[in-house]
Amino acid sequence: MSAIFGVFRNEFSRIFTLRPAFATLILATCLYAAFYPQPYVNEALRDLPIAIVDHDGTLGSQELARRVDATSDVAITMALPDLATAQHEVYARNISGILFIPQYFERDLLHGRPSPVALYADASYFLAYQRINGGVGAVARTFGIEVETARLIAAGVDPAIAAAAADPMPLTSVALFNPQGGYATYVLPAAFILLVQQTLLIGVGLLGTLPGGRFGTREGQAATAGPFAIVFGKLLTYLLLEAVVLPFYLIILPYLYGLPRLGSASHILIFAIPFVLAVGGFGMVVAAIFRKPIAVQLTFAAVGLPFFFLAGFAWPPESIPHAIRDAATLLPSSEAIDGLVKISQLGAPLFDARNQFLTLWALAFLYGGLALALEYRDRRRLQPNSAAA
Amino acid sequence: MRPLTGVKPGFGLVFWRELRWLRRRPFLLALTTYGPLALMALLTAIFSAGLATRLPIGVLDLDQTELSRAIIRTVDATPDAAVQIHVAELAEGRQLIQSSQIYGLLMLPQNLQRDVFSGRRPEVVFFYNTQKMTPGNLVLRGVTNAVLTAAAGIQIALRTSEGQPVEIATADLTPIPVQTNALFNPTLNYVHFLLAALLPSLLQIVIVTTSSYSAGLDIETHHRLRILRRLGGGLWRALAGKLLPYTLIYLSLLLIIDGILFRFFDLPLRGNGPFLLLAGILFILACQLIGVLLALLLKPTASAVSIGTLLTAPAFGYMGVSFPRHGMNAFAYYWGEILPGTWYLMVRIDQTIRGTPPELSSKPVLVLATFVTGLTVLVALLLELHRARSDAAAIRPAAVNEALP
Repeated sequence: MSAIFGVFRNEFSRIFTLRPAFATLILATCLYAAFYPQPYVNEALRDLPIAIVDHDGTLGSQELARRVDATSDVAITMALPDLATAQHEVYARNISGILFIPQYFERDLLHGRPSPVALYADASYFLAYQRINGGVGAVARTFGIEVETARLIAAGVDPAIAAAAADPMPLTSVALFNPQGGYATYVLPAAFILLVQQTLLIGVGLLGTLPGGRFGTREGQAATAGPFAIVFGKLLTYLLLEAVVLPFYLIILPYLYGLPRLGSASHILIFAIPFVLAVGGFGMVVAAIFRKPIAVQLTFAAVGLPFFFLAGFAWPPESIPHAIRDAATLLPSSEAIDGLVKISQLGAPLFDARNQFLTLWALAFLYGGLALALEYRDRRRLQPNSAAA
Repeated sequence: MRPLTGVKPGFGLVFWRELRWLRRRPFLLALTTYGPLALMALLTAIFSAGLATRLPIGVLDLDQTELSRAIIRTVDATPDAAVQIHVAELAEGRQLIQSSQIYGLLMLPQNLQRDVFSGRRPEVVFFYNTQKMTPGNLVLRGVTNAVLTAAAGIQIALRTSEGQPVEIATADLTPIPVQTNALFNPTLNYVHFLLAALLPSLLQIVIVTTSSYSAGLDIETHHRLRILRRLGGGLWRALAGKLLPYTLIYLSLLLIIDGILFRFFDLPLRGNGPFLLLAGILFILACQLIGVLLALLLKPTASAVSIGTLLTAPAFGYMGVSFPRHGMNAFAYYWGEILPGTWYLMVRIDQTIRGTPPELSSKPVLVLATFVTGLTVLVALLLELHRARSDAAAIRPAAVNEALP
């Protein structure tokens, strides 16, 4: 027990005295909290610039254009004579879409004939495409229904029937958990979990490879602390460190960035315990494999992107090949993102995330066990040397 | 260091020394070749489906009539959504959404068929998960299309049953149909949109960090830097000989992965190939020079690698593909401006899916060229400074030694 505590005290002081470890576990953790979310803090795209090509030039077409412009989604920034000119502007990245109103738009509409308009939206950026498409589509639909209802009423149809005939079965879509469709609300809860993993993983990898990391204790103490005490003492250190980092990343930061949270703080933190242990164990294994701090840094610099998409959050797991999905289970982030998003963003009870919770415990035991085995192996390797000396 | 007898210092000497280093350092080789290639292959495999289809949703059918069943069939027939489960009550559907087993729940109210045909306009409600934005929006699209199709059928029936004149009954069902054209990526393929941008972003991280590392091998000790300069027979030739082997390696990585995208994932090359290649080379050079610059500014090399990671690892968000730069705050917008990847991705999108005429796409290429020029000048200046300093350092101990008896 005192051996575990000795390892714990030593490892804890190393976090604050070894510059690379401190830079990763403390400084980078703080910096990413402010730096990473910046592109997304505005949540939504507003007033995407589009051009109008109005070949009708009537009150009706101008009214449609005015209503489109009035939405928060798009802004009509140009009125152009033809599609070729407009396409040139799209290529030049001055506009993201073109609304084309053909000749006789108003006449056809008033005569009850289908009066189509054409929307060309830039799908090289999906979010912009969705926004333009959704905004213009909604305006055209309501405007069309209004005109149609008015026309039916004018033709002597009972107003109620007229409304029903134009739109007999309205669809109400209810956006759950992220009603504004905000991008920060969508991406940050998952990204924060990945950031916690990456800083802890690299930090633990550095601690294990920097001088003094081999046996978890200072020179001379190595004999008293067995492999078991070393692994446990270190995991205890990481757990204590993350006891500060996790509430900051999973509760305080979402609050500061105005992200909705449905789950209770205690459930989130309980769920995070095996996550921290699994990442800590993983980090120790990484340290034993790579052996040099710079190797840890270089190897794990670029893995964040694939790790994020492996989690099956941004890209649905149903569309990821099965073998890759199964292999992704070995990464603590995959399970933690899945489970924590359910608990904190969807307000699911812990029970609904039990699979992820148990998998994380299994990973914690797997990586903890591996770290322990590697510790034993190193000790056996060292023994003949020390006997010879 | 063996004397340089018979070996002419110059670009070639440094170039081949660097390649020999690579062969002798398996770790550096892994970092620059098969490591990134494996990560890019992994990303490609994740997105290999290109489109997310038949995403699971649930249905709460409180009507159980011909109409409600027809709607469910229509929804299930859309490519986006698959009706995976029928639930008996709302709470059950909610639980399934919360546990992420389904992305949405379609609720068809009681007396739907009766109310529709008596003109009471009953509401069909679709609850969908927007926390998971991609699948959430896709199932919404599927359900919206299906319900509109079903409604169109009803409209005709309603009008004729109400004894409307034929011309009104056959009138347009959607008065203003919007013919939507998804420019440049008509099938909304995620490989062409996201993967094609993720791969260079990954490469950006790899190039900056490994360039810091490999430059650090020479920079960390003064005498090594002097040796490098002497081997190259001058600053410029030494620098070119040091960087070019990696430029070629990274360029091959880019060409391999792009070859795969063009060949197997039907990424179109509607623009100008050589122009895209030029942008790719400038992008690689800019990233390499950033790495070298960091190695020159920050000691030890580990710090340079840390800062390189800090700059490039979160860069994907700043480059404005997933969330366009139009919507960013000023800080994020201008930060994106100083990343080579932001400009390279613009050219890439322009020349692959968009087919932008090169003259309209020249700005990002000019910016990349400016980056390369500016960074080269900076790196050269710092190297000169280093030499001046290390010369001074070399003289001082000598002077001290002489002063001693």
